[in-house]
Amino acid sequence: MRITRTTLCAALVAFGGALGVAAPAAAQTTLNVVTAGDQNMVDYVNNFLGPRFEKQNPGVKVRAVGTGPGDAGSQKIYEKLSAQQKAGAASWDTDVAVVHQRGAATMVKENLLASYRNDVAAGKLVSRDSAKNALGQNVDGYVIPMFHSQIAFAYNPAVVKSPPRSFGELAEWVKKNPKQFGYNGVKGGMSGVGFVMGWVAANSGMAEQLERGPYDPSKKAVIDKSLASLKEFNQYVVLTPGNAGTLDMLNRGEIAMGPVWVDMFYTWVADGKMPPNVKLGLPRPGMPGQPMYYVVPAKAANAQLARKFVDFAASPEIQAEGIVKRFNWYPGIDAQYVKAKMDEKSWNKLFVDIPPDALATYGRPFPLSEYFTDILESYERVVMK
Amino acid sequence: MNQRSWAGLALAAPALAIVVVFFAGPLAMSAILAFRGRDGGFTTAHFEKAFELYSTDLLFSAAIVVLSTAAIAVVAIAIAGYLTLGEHPRTQAILRWLYRWPLFIPFIVTAQVMRTFLAKNGMLNHVLIGGGLIDPLQAQSMLDWRGIVVAFVWKQAPFVTLLLAGAMAAIDRQHIEAARNLGAGRLRVLFEIVLPQARRTLMVGLVLSFVTMLSVLSVPMMINPNSPTMLTVDIAYRINSHGDYAVANALCLMSLALASVGAWFYVREAARKAERG
Repeated sequence: MRITRTTLCAALVAFGGALGVAAPAAAQTTLNVVTAGDQNMVDYVNNFLGPRFEKQNPGVKVRAVGTGPGDAGSQKIYEKLSAQQKAGAASWDTDVAVVHQRGAATMVKENLLASYRNDVAAGKLVSRDSAKNALGQNVDGYVIPMFHSQIAFAYNPAVVKSPPRSFGELAEWVKKNPKQFGYNGVKGGMSGVGFVMGWVAANSGMAEQLERGPYDPSKKAVIDKSLASLKEFNQYVVLTPGNAGTLDMLNRGEIAMGPVWVDMFYTWVADGKMPPNVKLGLPRPGMPGQPMYYVVPAKAANAQLARKFVDFAASPEIQAEGIVKRFNWYPGIDAQYVKAKMDEKSWNKLFVDIPPDALATYGRPFPLSEYFTDILESYERVVMK
Repeated sequence: MNQRSWAGLALAAPALAIVVVFFAGPLAMSAILAFRGRDGGFTTAHFEKAFELYSTDLLFSAAIVVLSTAAIAVVAIAIAGYLTLGEHPRTQAILRWLYRWPLFIPFIVTAQVMRTFLAKNGMLNHVLIGGGLIDPLQAQSMLDWRGIVVAFVWKQAPFVTLLLAGAMAAIDRQHIEAARNLGAGRLRVLFEIVLPQARRTLMVGLVLSFVTMLSVLSVPMMINPNSPTMLTVDIAYRINSHGDYAVANALCLMSLALASVGAWFYVREAARKAERG
């Protein structure tokens, strides 16, 4: 194992060295932006952010690299930075990274990131709790949220006249309307995972502890108990194949309600793949959502330019035009600054069903990563048996 | 060893090296990691967890694949049998042209097609309702284990048919004509004259399909609501969501045990064939 790791480090350093040599030859500065997440993240940097930033900064070339969706994508970025740190490299070839919460928490813990938020003007515009706390790890100063995405219930008001407003009401509702609610379990994507997390938070009585800690392994029994009721709940619902599967079934009218990612939902509506009358709602005590963060590695080769880039990307104008209008994400910085830069119509589109105050109250973070794992395994043990 | 066998070994060496480096090596690593605990010692904890959480899925996978293999056999025998014994040349030509299409379509595309075709408000039910065959209220979604079986059979039956039809065409026509002359019906000719002679090829095709279906991830992931689900989905889930390679390796070995049942049949048939030269 040790041999492979050393070889890997050496290979990465050699690769980094090659990049370092190649860059100045181009007679301009290349800003390397490495982003986790789906292809749309790379597209966002390459097609939207990059060209605008390059126009403002002649001689700068923005290069975006994607590392793949989900936490696994952030893990790849972490492994690269960690290898460069262990190899003692003087400067690292990642200037800006876009990572998930779990990745950011690990990177801060291992001193891989620069504390840069107070260096940039846009840093003062962030207000969300998630800018300070990532799944229990203090990340204050190290991150600026790029966007926030939220899981919510989508429902068809033609069928669901008065949508259930809490998990308790939902449990009653599905008994009266069997097979009208659908979600995708825990193996078919995060919207189902988020629903299960919300269920445990609502039914275990330990919502606060799940979000803030401390982690207590003996709580597994409490989690098991709260999931026993989900097993009964599952008899009255449809299990769908994946995040898109839930949206598909809503679209075809096979279910009337289900948990979905808000940004995916709006994109489907915009593409005409979802009836425009379908609405969104957030149940009490809340559903999880997550940001993605802009971070700057501790020894980024172009540290100053990286700060300038994030400042630009997190500015209200860019957040309004790119994040909200084009990609249907919630803004990463405080909503009031973004709203001022937008036309009323585009803004309302995002907040028509879930107003900002409801989002602030019922949009919850995911549980601490240890609880997160416990809940997933408990689901397989208790609910699927 | 004499000189000739050394030369033979040298010729086989590159192929052997590839098998060792890309198959035997990773397999051994997988087996070792499935039994290695966090402290580096021997443990069966990963297998216990795999059985605790996924024993239903193991049975589900085995049942789906066995059922699909049986259905593929039926479809393949029917099509190949008609191609060999049918008496309507135009129908035969059309069938021969049509049945191969799914061969060229990847599993993931098949899954995507089935997702819209078999859904509750999908094309199949629309056609059935429009044709007055079922009432709208009777329409139900087939996107569960049935959907997986349909997708597997649709995709794999042409492959087995292709092999089987070839083997049937190679049979001496005199056998068939003799049986027909003596008054045997076409079905009887198929099952008593043609099929026994093509049995070995059918077996090989079915075994290859069995092993292929066992390893497909996209179809169960896209069609099935994943509870229960096939082992491939569980393996992907352990790795992607938990970074848990140990339990994933344990699941892989369980899957391998299933596949080796098929491999055993294959090797046995191959050995027999080799003996007869």
